[in-house]
Amino acid sequence: MTVGETFTWLRRASPIGRIQRQTWERIAIACLFGAAILFPIAHRNDGDIDAAANALTFAALALGLNIVVGLAGLLDLGYAAFFAIGAYTYGAAASWQIAPDWSSFWEPFQWLGLVARFHETSGDVVHFQVSFWLMMPVSAAVAAFFGVLFGFPTLRLRGDYLAIVTLGFGEIVPIVARNTPSVTNGAMGLNGVAAPQLFGWSFGVDATPYYYVGLALVAFLIFTSQRLKFSRIGRAWMAIREDELAAGAMGVNRTKMKLLAFATGAAFAGATGTLFVAKLQTATPEMFGFPVSVMILVMIVFGGIGSVWGVVLGALILQLLQSWFLEDLSGWLHSLGRLINVEWLQHIELASSIELIFGLILVFMMLYRREGLIPATRRVAPLTTEEQTAAPTRGGFEGLKGLGALDERRDDPLLDIAGMTVRFGGLVALREVSLAVPAHSVLAVIGPNGSGKSTLFNAVTGLVTAEAGQVRFAGADIAGAPPHVVLDRGIARTFQNIRLFPNLTVLENVLIGMHARLATGVVEALLRLPRTQREEHRARERAMEILAVFGNRLVPRADHVVSSLSYANRRRVEIARALASQPKLLLLDEPTAGMNPAETLELADQIKSLNRLGLSIVLIEHKLDVVVNLANQVVVLDHGEKIAEGSPAEVRRNDEVIRAYLGRSAAIA
Amino acid sequence: MIFDPVLLQQVINGLSLGAMYALLALGFTLVYGILELINFAHFNVFMVSSFIGMWALELLGLSGQSTVLGGFALVGALGFAFIVTMLAAGLLGVAIERIALRPLRNVRGTAAMITTIGVSFILFNVILLTAGAGSMNFPNPMPVVRWDVGGATLQLREVSIWAVSLVLMVALHLFVNRTRLGKAMRATAQDAEAARMMGIDVDRIVITAFFLGSALAGAAALIFGLYYNFTSFIIGYTAGLRAFTAAVLGGIGSITGAMVGGVLIGLVESLGGHFFATRWADVIIFSILVLVLVFMPSGLFGRAAAVRA
Repeated sequence: MTVGETFTWLRRASPIGRIQRQTWERIAIACLFGAAILFPIAHRNDGDIDAAANALTFAALALGLNIVVGLAGLLDLGYAAFFAIGAYTYGAAASWQIAPDWSSFWEPFQWLGLVARFHETSGDVVHFQVSFWLMMPVSAAVAAFFGVLFGFPTLRLRGDYLAIVTLGFGEIVPIVARNTPSVTNGAMGLNGVAAPQLFGWSFGVDATPYYYVGLALVAFLIFTSQRLKFSRIGRAWMAIREDELAAGAMGVNRTKMKLLAFATGAAFAGATGTLFVAKLQTATPEMFGFPVSVMILVMIVFGGIGSVWGVVLGALILQLLQSWFLEDLSGWLHSLGRLINVEWLQHIELASSIELIFGLILVFMMLYRREGLIPATRRVAPLTTEEQTAAPTRGGFEGLKGLGALDERRDDPLLDIAGMTVRFGGLVALREVSLAVPAHSVLAVIGPNGSGKSTLFNAVTGLVTAEAGQVRFAGADIAGAPPHVVLDRGIARTFQNIRLFPNLTVLENVLIGMHARLATGVVEALLRLPRTQREEHRARERAMEILAVFGNRLVPRADHVVSSLSYANRRRVEIARALASQPKLLLLDEPTAGMNPAETLELADQIKSLNRLGLSIVLIEHKLDVVVNLANQVVVLDHGEKIAEGSPAEVRRNDEVIRAYLGRSAAIA
Repeated sequence: MIFDPVLLQQVINGLSLGAMYALLALGFTLVYGILELINFAHFNVFMVSSFIGMWALELLGLSGQSTVLGGFALVGALGFAFIVTMLAAGLLGVAIERIALRPLRNVRGTAAMITTIGVSFILFNVILLTAGAGSMNFPNPMPVVRWDVGGATLQLREVSIWAVSLVLMVALHLFVNRTRLGKAMRATAQDAEAARMMGIDVDRIVITAFFLGSALAGAAALIFGLYYNFTSFIIGYTAGLRAFTAAVLGGIGSITGAMVGGVLIGLVESLGGHFFATRWADVIIFSILVLVLVFMPSGLFGRAAAVRA
């Protein structure tokens, strides 16, 4: 075997290969941190350690911005504002900036060691001296609060508008800091912020302790980022990034998850701000402006948006480039200038052109390597020729027992729509449409293009708001419920023009379908207790069982990015993703569109099997043979009105239907 | 009706600022209308143009405010400066589109916008490193002519700023609405794909939008220099954000909106400084930006407006 083949074998030989790779990864990480710990001991230059400590600060910021921009896809151009909020929170709680008159109110705080009584000639004043170690989480919480506060108005905004609003907030924060000197000392900067203390020993101005705190913070944030990224939470964020609308329809509560992303990112910046201000022992508004936000953005673009190790590397390289390499390079150029007697070479100062270099890096990365140094998505080995050319096998349905099961036997329809009207401006897309889906049946909705079929699905699943009408599902009123609630109740859907999460794998797409059925929250994702591991393990097993419905079409491609799949396979993934939510009712919008006759038959067969397992299905379909083959009942829409319903045979004979499809003369003949 | 002279003076100042912001806002709106791209490079195209305008005037042997011209010499000098600045700015805009943005035309998401931030940083630092960090004295050959209007002072330079802005805006309006290229531009703004299928060269339309937008930024930059008598590498950011707010307030993509929004923001700046402390003016403007985007994203004239380029 060649090296390449061995590597491929290692990757593919599951599960042994995966375990081996994880072991190697762990050893590499341990070596990396070992080297980082030894660095100040081996290299005793305080200036270099100081630069490294600053670089770690920016790595922490890059990790936070990566949560917001890289995972959740919310472009935040005012991220430095949260850095500022964290810095000023600690600055105000541990400096001489705020000194109210002493009163008995402060005594309990004095007893707790949070404040000290200080004698001045004009009377006693309060000196805030809250511990750095207490303020780090507090600042993170304060910044997270502002993250939610600033995030809330932006929830409904599109990508570029969101960027502008965050930029606006990012500008307002430093201006407020400059204009409220009573708290921040304005443009002069905070006075005498206390250095952290550990068991009575003050950090002082020596860079080494700050370096270690920075290293610990970065390690913790890497750990947090990784745990979150590879959990239900991270998958939900990435789903929002990839296709917000589809994420909602697959059960992700977008409001909650976006605010969570803003809060998490802001908390990272808040904690980092505490360290930064403690290290500098001052803070001025200029330290938190737009250029700083852009600098952090450049770091994550350079390292690889969405890639945890990438953004750390990007931040470290760019910071150290600035403080180590450019200084040295300028020195070398000066010597060269003296040697060859060129005047301007002796005066060149590359460090001052760092922002120019940042701009160039940003443009070049965007033009030539948008995935960054360490891309977030890993390459997977392509299928072998045998796997690619293997004859399609029949699907297995063993894993799907209990699909579509209802809590009790019901005689009333599972889905009952009455008098639904949807209007887009002047256009009436649906007019007073009523229909009922009996439990465990297949209902086909047919009609010419533009007759309102997809609008019906959108109105049921909460993607468009119906002007009038009632929707009852399994006895409960779901009219006007948001998409993620509709999915949670048990209605899953596919889209006419496939809306998968294009840069995620087949498996990840299906796992996002399970979002509403899994319970892992932020705390569980971080702790990863056995219970959470079991849940994740079961979810993956179940996802593979669902993929097995389509025989050998999707299973070998489970780790492939869906944008690399064929059109028909993408339709299958979309159905698998919908099945993953354990629906009671499945809405399929033209599932066989773009499939050849053999593939159509295969899929129709699979849909029939799903129905036999007990799943109720509503199907929009143009291919009448599929409709006749599958449906118990057919509803015909034309110009937004229901013009006929009945068994497939009845509908076929209906004059109205023939007229709608073929025109007036055909009906007369 | 008698105005408070101080207030009237602020209105006059606000209109002059507003004329400048309107010209700058038009550049944002032209590009956004066609590409749905927020062009951050526009901030510093404006800043670079002010230096080009300064160099053009210095080329004529003018420096500082001491050399005063009159009559034809004045009109000729200013005409030369405007033509040179607008052409150079327009070409800079075209170069940015061609080199940095065209390869990203079909990339989904915010990649192109992030690239314009990078371009903006490059322009900013090129000027900072070549021209230095100090603020530069901008040559102004205009004689000081003052009129007293209801207790407030109206100067020749203000009247000429209004006149130039009005001429440029009317010209743009006529171009967009009366010419073949303007019609193609409106079609592209509605639906680029359909326009391409109808035989419109979309690349040429995009280039035109960048050229016109940047040329107007060039005019705005010269107006800035003549109004404030200085320029510096930092002027792009503040003026650019205010003009962008103007474009958003008017309804980004709408030409009328950019003009009206520009004047409104100019008035907000001067009157906001009058009624509140000047140091809060930016907070007021950014708050307008945030509030409009959140509660009225189509602005005053967005979408529904008849003229949309």
